[in-house]
Amino acid sequence: MFFTNRRIGGLLLLAFCVTYAVLSQRIPLLPFQAQSAFHARTMPEVLAILGVGLSIAIVVLPSPKEFLDLSGKNWFTVIAFLALMSFYGVTIRPFGFILSSSILLGVGFWLLGERKAWLILAVSVPIAIAFWALMTLGLSVFLEPLPWFLRG
Amino acid sequence: MLEGILIGLTTALTPMNLGFVVAGCLVGTFIGMLPGLGPMSAIALMIPVAAGLDPAAGIILMAAVYYGAIFGGSTSSILINAPGVASTVATSFDGYPMAKQGKAGKALAIAAYSSFSGGVVGAILLLIAAPFLAKVSLSFHSTDYFALMVLGLTAVAAFAGQGNVLKAMLMTIVGLMLSTVGTDQTQGIQRFTLGMIDLLDGVSFLLLVMATFALSEALMAILKPKDDESRLKEKEASANLGSMKISKEEVKEMAPVIGRSSILGFLIGVLPGAGATIASFLAYGTEQRLAGSEKGKLFGKGSVRGLAAPETANNAAATGSFVPMLTLGIPGSGTTAIMLGALIGYGIQPGPRLYIDNPEVFWAVIVSMWVGNIILLVLNLPLIPYIAKVLAIPSRFLLPLILFFSLIGVYFVSFNTFDIQLMIIFAIAAVVLRLLDFPLAPMILGFILGGMMEENLRRALLINDDSWSFLWERELTLTILVIAVLTLFVPMLMPLYSKWRKNADRAGEGG
Repeated sequence: MFFTNRRIGGLLLLAFCVTYAVLSQRIPLLPFQAQSAFHARTMPEVLAILGVGLSIAIVVLPSPKEFLDLSGKNWFTVIAFLALMSFYGVTIRPFGFILSSSILLGVGFWLLGERKAWLILAVSVPIAIAFWALMTLGLSVFLEPLPWFLRG
Repeated sequence: MLEGILIGLTTALTPMNLGFVVAGCLVGTFIGMLPGLGPMSAIALMIPVAAGLDPAAGIILMAAVYYGAIFGGSTSSILINAPGVASTVATSFDGYPMAKQGKAGKALAIAAYSSFSGGVVGAILLLIAAPFLAKVSLSFHSTDYFALMVLGLTAVAAFAGQGNVLKAMLMTIVGLMLSTVGTDQTQGIQRFTLGMIDLLDGVSFLLLVMATFALSEALMAILKPKDDESRLKEKEASANLGSMKISKEEVKEMAPVIGRSSILGFLIGVLPGAGATIASFLAYGTEQRLAGSEKGKLFGKGSVRGLAAPETANNAAATGSFVPMLTLGIPGSGTTAIMLGALIGYGIQPGPRLYIDNPEVFWAVIVSMWVGNIILLVLNLPLIPYIAKVLAIPSRFLLPLILFFSLIGVYFVSFNTFDIQLMIIFAIAAVVLRLLDFPLAPMILGFILGGMMEENLRRALLINDDSWSFLWERELTLTILVIAVLTLFVPMLMPLYSKWRKNADRAGEGG
């Protein structure tokens, strides 16, 4: 089997480095800058060459026979958490800090197996309120606590 | 030096800063104890809090969290055989067998006394080494700094372990690449921003650290949940620790081990890239050899020496890794790289000028190490039976909380929701790289040093009229670069050399 852990990683990073190399050529330079020994493209170009070279070496050189085992892992839960975190990023402003944080924590507890609704609420809401109070009242960092429809 | 110690004492011993040391040690122990979360995550989680403090207080807090987390990591190694970090793996070799024999309390006490001694000896050596090195490095030019940064990066890759050098080098390059995103500081040109305004200032250091460590570690824990048996083991371990008393014989046995391992650990810690993990394994191996055949057999079965050696060495190394950070501005480890980033965030440039420009920060860090170690011993040790209860908190509550703290930690600094989405992208990449066994610490190191490296190289070329000759014309620069090349290639060539020797010997015997 060719696709060991090491080689898959090498290929992924090779793709990253090639993209980086292509984008490095789009860095705008003025004519006089292009003539100097060091300009905004110099470091990216050197890094791109090193990155591509190293990733090719990782792919081509002999590799330990370790293979990616995707079975027996909670992929669904992780994907759900990623979606939940992204949702938090979208809602933290319109929903306000307390509601959005309570949702993040509550749904998180539920995703990991807690099924008692009262316990989920009893942990998530006080933590969100305590944090808001700490930031706003304790450290004078203003955070909008309420959702858009309750704001004055 | 006395004047410096006084400055450090007056800064570190203010009631406020003492409070930060106490809080940092407790929080660090608490986080470090959680399997999977190490000092890097602990410090990363503290950055948003430290950002609101003055630089000395912020660094004191982070340093306290650092040794608290190392101590916490030892605790989970001993109690449940789950080292939070690589540097406490060697601790579990003898600590866990002791715990299984019903001597968990004793093992924790030995670990605490050893950590304390290693930390204190390390801090004394730091007190001597740091100002000396800072004075010497005042004569360094930007060319030498560029070479030193190359050395720092190659050393990290070289110490990555057999078979991992290329991976560590590539990850360092990836970190350097990420550091070039944003507006070029000198020429004001946008690089790799993909037309996004949010990327004009580049990728935030805190965001990258939080995503690659705290967030991805929590996601990994969700991905690979523990079985019921290990959960039961954690509950039992945290419920019954046994006596914490150490006998006179055990103290006699520990004392020389602590002396040797402290010095060894400190020296290894000073080397950029080597760090606490190598120090702990080296100290363990050294003591096993020195113990003689009879006592050596006890190693791995609950030996007092086997527990004291790695615990002393990893704490001394953690202290030693502050030397290159404070004096040269080059982090010796991933953890000090995060602290370096935090210092830069305060507008402080670590390096030889730190000793002159910000003596209160420089000395406060050193003095706070003593204070922190005393607090770890006096406060944390008696509290361990209670702190260990954290192991009994169900992960279904703990993991969402870690994710929440990581997200708001970054959001509270920038108040930009784009950062939350970018963090998720980096966390996905980090999880994939973790699954493929690619190291992430070299990436952080590359990211931190990237900007400084480019700046020093640019300055060096400007001073030398765009000529690259400074690389071989200035003796100090050349020497450092040669050491960097040797550091990188000697460990790579050693296995080939030993293979060649073996073949030659075999051919000799056959002939």
